[in-house]
Amino acid sequence: MRTTMQHLFMTLSVLCMAVPAFAQGAGASGNNLVPIAAGLGMALASGLCGLGQGRAVASSTEALARNPGARPGIFLFLVLGLAFIESLALFTFAIIIIKVK
Amino acid sequence: MPLQHFLSHILNLLLAGPVTQLLNAIGRPPINPAAPIDGVFTMELLAVILLLGFFVIVRLTLQVEKPGTAQQLAEMLEEFVSNQTEPIIGERYRVYLPFLSVVLLFVLVNNLLGLLPDVDTATASPVVPLGVALLTFMHYHWQGVREHKGGYIKQFLGPLWWIAPLMLPIELISHLARILSLTIRLFANMYASDLLTLISFSLFPIALPVVFLGLHLGVSLIQAYVFMLLASIYVGQAIAHEH
Repeated sequence: MRTTMQHLFMTLSVLCMAVPAFAQGAGASGNNLVPIAAGLGMALASGLCGLGQGRAVASSTEALARNPGARPGIFLFLVLGLAFIESLALFTFAIIIIKVK
Repeated sequence: MPLQHFLSHILNLLLAGPVTQLLNAIGRPPINPAAPIDGVFTMELLAVILLLGFFVIVRLTLQVEKPGTAQQLAEMLEEFVSNQTEPIIGERYRVYLPFLSVVLLFVLVNNLLGLLPDVDTATASPVVPLGVALLTFMHYHWQGVREHKGGYIKQFLGPLWWIAPLMLPIELISHLARILSLTIRLFANMYASDLLTLISFSLFPIALPVVFLGLHLGVSLIQAYVFMLLASIYVGQAIAHEH
């Protein structure tokens, strides 16, 4: 935990130095950052959505292995849960569609 | 053959005048007055006509001794929807079966029609899922009012009377957010699947797109199922009695 925090703060302090340098470059050329933001946003959303869905599927398969008789109920909640988790990533996707024109 | 363009063309030949007048009357003039009916609406109408035809055939060939193919299919469908909704809604699920079946079938047929090449997916345009979501919203509130009469408002007020001013806005917003989430879930899924199929065609047009079309098929089935399931959960919550 402590080393993680050390790394985090080291990275943040480096970023403090780096910000003026980036700002100068971007200000000079006036790059369009929307595609980068869209890609990063979608990558974050789908990556975290994958983690969440992985947890859901893992615990539901575990439950199914313990009690195969409960298949209909587990399936119902699994599909529902996956749909809700997936819709969070899809909200990001919808925002990207709206913003990127 | 571009079936969709053919159908759109016929529809526009027949109905362009009245539809343009109607749209002008409600203050939303169409972009192209000569052809106000677009591909999305054509596909939606095609789905409706297909479903109506299916049900008319089932009704006409209904018999007890020797059920035909269409009747077998309809019975399978009824059994599927019953099995899915009974544990959610309870023993009086039969009242709500028609609406839920129609939601399932309409979304399913629209999704599957979108798999055809050179065709707009109706559900990949935000308007169509929004329409179905609004119908679902109105339907479950109506069922709630029908079940509880004036007591339906108690569902929005929380368990204690002094917490009601806090609970009412939260409940209202969460009920309105259901429309948003139903719409965006279906729309974004189908739009993304369409886009993925298109991208796979442009990457490598032989054999590879079949994989993505398979994925698209799976997404179509699952989204129709999820839409029906969520509608039945909302109905079940609206008509639930507190114990």
